[in-house]
Amino acid sequence: MDCPTAQTNLSAYLRGDLPLDQRSALVAHLRGCRICLVRLAAVDPLASVLVQTETPPVPSGFERRVLAAARSRRSQVVAVAWSPLRWWRMASAPMHAAAAAVLVVGLAAGLALGWAARPATRQAQEDSQAMALTTALAAYNLDYLGDAPGGSLADSYLALLTNRKGGRQ
Amino acid sequence: MLGVRDGDLFAFEQLVLRHQAEAWRVAYRFTGDAAEAEDLAQQAFLKVLDAAPRYTATAAFRTYLYQVVTRRCLDHRRKKRPVLMEVLPECATDAPTPGEEADAVERDQCIQSALAALPADYRMAVVLRYFEGLSAAEMAVAMGRSVKAVERLLARARDALAPRLELFRGKMR
Repeated sequence: MDCPTAQTNLSAYLRGDLPLDQRSALVAHLRGCRICLVRLAAVDPLASVLVQTETPPVPSGFERRVLAAARSRRSQVVAVAWSPLRWWRMASAPMHAAAAAVLVVGLAAGLALGWAARPATRQAQEDSQAMALTTALAAYNLDYLGDAPGGSLADSYLALLTNRKGGRQ
Repeated sequence: MLGVRDGDLFAFEQLVLRHQAEAWRVAYRFTGDAAEAEDLAQQAFLKVLDAAPRYTATAAFRTYLYQVVTRRCLDHRRKKRPVLMEVLPECATDAPTPGEEADAVERDQCIQSALAALPADYRMAVVLRYFEGLSAAEMAVAMGRSVKAVERLLARARDALAPRLELFRGKMR
């Protein structure tokens, strides 16, 4: 950077309005140019002193230590509070596929079991009640109650015995 | 930053490599101690990682990082017992030094001790403006204050530092 450019940029530099690359170039120029430094001192004495100081470079291996801390912290977080959403975000594509497959198989198994255990139809219910009545009449020697009219005391007794709702009409 | 938000550690590594100098400079200039500065800069990056799922890109990432580092530094100073100095340590004399390099080292030490003697928020204002080149608006975001408030802080910090650094200005003329 030449002196005229540097001196033009001094105001923007002091306001903090210079883009990063221009700022770095100006600082480098000011450290080597006494004339421009004196110009800066006339506007902002503190800036002219501070611009000459060097900050030590970032310690070597800093990013490695940050990453190691990040990895250890992340594994601790996962162990303490597992969250499905967080897991989904962090998992790889094969893990996503495996999770989806497990979900589909689980749903299919649930549907199959539910279908097998579905409630019996009305016809099947009536058939099973008739079978239960026949069995009960034979088992307890209650043949004589077989012709009991619907709604009678005998019919109610038979309904209780065969788990039938209501008496015969 | 979007990659970091999705839990990508490689993206986080790139972020650290790109911005480590800024975090380190602020922390070092604020504390004046390399070990403390490294610890604070590391904490700031871990905070960025933790908060990544909630991050919304309302400003440049650099501004956001300055905000995180500034908070870490100021919180650290609040927790730490302050060292009260009735008189600032002597740092520069009129005695001649062996060479320019020794001069520079002495000057840097003196500036750092003058900065250390400032109240924490004055010091942070000086660091963000003079070492990092932030505008008043960016400083206001980083420090969580209004633009007018940071301008006032800067003015007071200049007044506090000026007598201490007068000698260097004299040497420059």
